[in-house]
Amino acid sequence: MSAAQEHREPGAKEAPIVPPPPGSIADKFKKVLPDVEFVANQGVLDVIITVPRQDIPRVMRTAKDDPRLAFDYLRCLCGVDQMEQGLEVVYHLYSFKHAHNVTIKTLLPSDDPQVATVTTVWNGALWHERETHEMFGIVFEGHPDLRPLLLEEDLGYYPLLKSHPLAEIEESQEEFLREDGKQ
Amino acid sequence: MADETRAEEVHVVRDDPAIAISDVVPPELRRRIKELSPVELHPGQGKALYRQILPGVLQVPADAIIALARKSSLWPLTFGLACCAIEMIATHMARHDLDRFGILPWPSPRQADVMVVSGTVTKKMAPAVKLLYEQMPSPKWVIAMGACATNGGPYTRYDRVLQGVDKIIPVDVYVAGCPPRPEALMDAYLQLRKKIMEDRSKIGR
Amino acid sequence: MAIEERELETIDINVNVGPQHPATHGVFRMILRVDGELVVDLEPVIGYLHRGAEKLSENCDYRQAIAFQDRTEYLAQFNAELCYVIAVEKLMGLEVPERAEYIRVILTELNRIASHLMFMGAFSADLGVFGTLFMYAFRERERMLDLFEEISGDRMMYSYFRVGGLAWDVPEDFVERTRWMVKEARKGIADIDGLLTENEVFLARTRGIGIMTAEQAIDWGFSGPMLRASGVRHDLRRAEPYSIYDRLEFDIPIGHRGDVYDRYMVRLEEMRQSARIVEQCLDQMPKDGPIVAPDLKRVLRPPAGEVYMRAENPRGEYGIYLVSKGADKPYRLKIRSPSFCHLAALRDMTIGHYLADAVLILGSVDIVLCEVDR
Repeated sequence: MSAAQEHREPGAKEAPIVPPPPGSIADKFKKVLPDVEFVANQGVLDVIITVPRQDIPRVMRTAKDDPRLAFDYLRCLCGVDQMEQGLEVVYHLYSFKHAHNVTIKTLLPSDDPQVATVTTVWNGALWHERETHEMFGIVFEGHPDLRPLLLEEDLGYYPLLKSHPLAEIEESQEEFLREDGKQ
Repeated sequence: MADETRAEEVHVVRDDPAIAISDVVPPELRRRIKELSPVELHPGQGKALYRQILPGVLQVPADAIIALARKSSLWPLTFGLACCAIEMIATHMARHDLDRFGILPWPSPRQADVMVVSGTVTKKMAPAVKLLYEQMPSPKWVIAMGACATNGGPYTRYDRVLQGVDKIIPVDVYVAGCPPRPEALMDAYLQLRKKIMEDRSKIGR
Repeated sequence: MAIEERELETIDINVNVGPQHPATHGVFRMILRVDGELVVDLEPVIGYLHRGAEKLSENCDYRQAIAFQDRTEYLAQFNAELCYVIAVEKLMGLEVPERAEYIRVILTELNRIASHLMFMGAFSADLGVFGTLFMYAFRERERMLDLFEEISGDRMMYSYFRVGGLAWDVPEDFVERTRWMVKEARKGIADIDGLLTENEVFLARTRGIGIMTAEQAIDWGFSGPMLRASGVRHDLRRAEPYSIYDRLEFDIPIGHRGDVYDRYMVRLEEMRQSARIVEQCLDQMPKDGPIVAPDLKRVLRPPAGEVYMRAENPRGEYGIYLVSKGADKPYRLKIRSPSFCHLAALRDMTIGHYLADAVLILGSVDIVLCEVDR
């Protein structure tokens, strides 16, 4: 059975939200951005902060520019398909100045997966956002060049969504030629 | 006396109908002519007539000698796609030397003889592979190295992966393994040499 | 009569360094726009090896996914496996026995030496010296691959690390054999050093090429030797230690200028430091003990949660972002590959250099296409 089916079965659990200890990076975020509504969770290695998507440009710009946070390094940017809840974009940040790190997440609705780009903050986000767009269909507003990076142009589907199945094993060459003519 | 020619002194027997075999072959050998077996490929054939007349000359059919030349100097296109490329490089290196078989990696497809498809062929890369194959002049052969080139390998269930390179180009030798050992690739080249020799009658057609 | 200078009307041409090229280290395509020999623009095209390791890892269980890690980073397999198994262990809260930790670090550092040797060989091939240095580097590499084959059964795709420890114990003569091999590796490193480091032609070709300042490098997301060559003191084994790296003594080589020569020097020195780490581990390793965490079920079901584990690969920061929802298969396995982030900055590094330097700059990034495209 496909991965999508299995994860809907009983036994699929969500992790409980554990508030981070006092003095962690979540408190610093609260001090720097007091008016942003966010949920902080102590993950296995980092603190995970979930912000609403309209606050992403402000949070990211402040995270880089504010000297108390100084997140000058974008480690990774990826998408996760959370099925009914929507699509999630995850940012992993690190600061060379203070040697602290944080994970920032935002949830997007499946029918309108748009979020502001962070390429204006970190150059390294250019290719990460292109890849997330072609794999999940998440649109990054303001990205200078959202062409597909790893896949061909005009593919018509987003491979990493849970709804997209795995390929079947083709038994003969005719099957391949038939599928190739269809595309 | 000077006109008498002995068998040992004959150097060249030209194709001159005026000179008959009986003029140059001494009488005791003439008897043995009837017992001689037909000329075969192996140069160690001691009884053949031509060995008596022309020592040091090999007489073989043309297709055999052309096949021998082709198999002894296979120049593969340097076409490393993925992980199998590392084992292909290792096979060319000093420990499992491939140069002793006359195999010299050559970057341009226009002068290459064999294409070793080492790694996964994706559907984005497939047109380039086909173009490279068509750029190679005949005679050309293809070795599909590794599980990915044979049938998609561990990545066969992903829809951007071509399930085997034989879907777009004809393959002569398949090598199993992920990645195949250098000895396996060497064995593939030896099998290809055997195949070239066995298929020698198709040369020119 | 003086020859008068005339303004020649020139056009820029597009040179396609196509997916098949001896200098592209795999199926990587660069479209260069050149004005004569000067590179004016560059567009990297990737994706010719996109095989869906992330999607396929969602459909196999946690132990099978180790094999995909091998094939993603095919030159430093133990490093990738280590990052992945530590990610799962952190998610499960497992503690790995001492002996297994030491053996893991020994094999990881030996693999780092093997990966850098391959870099030396391929880099010198880019320079034009196909032959000598490649053969020297592979002579040492083959010795290491022999040892890895004896331990794990395969020359390249080991799948030897398991969540909780190792698959099986190492052979009895492992310690003596590894000690001998590190000594031979040091000689090999000295060979390579003697060939290239003070070579006039090498210096002329690589000094001042492909410079990346520290601020630019951090902005683009560089890591590993590329970042250290630009002068940033950052090594994940020191900044965010994992496994037993906090017990080991080693130096971190840092470059000054961020050019191609510094990257080569950083990697050369890293090989020596890895040899030092291996020797320390061989001394400190417990003689016997369990090699896998106790009471592990056959089918692993980590609790629901997520972890972003990062490790110091020979190429840079290799990250595994693992999301688990309590099932026996990962829900999302994102691989953060260092070569992907470095290639994004290739355009900025190459513009203003000549065509021959473009090949060298690409060689100095030390890309592994399987992890760029996954």
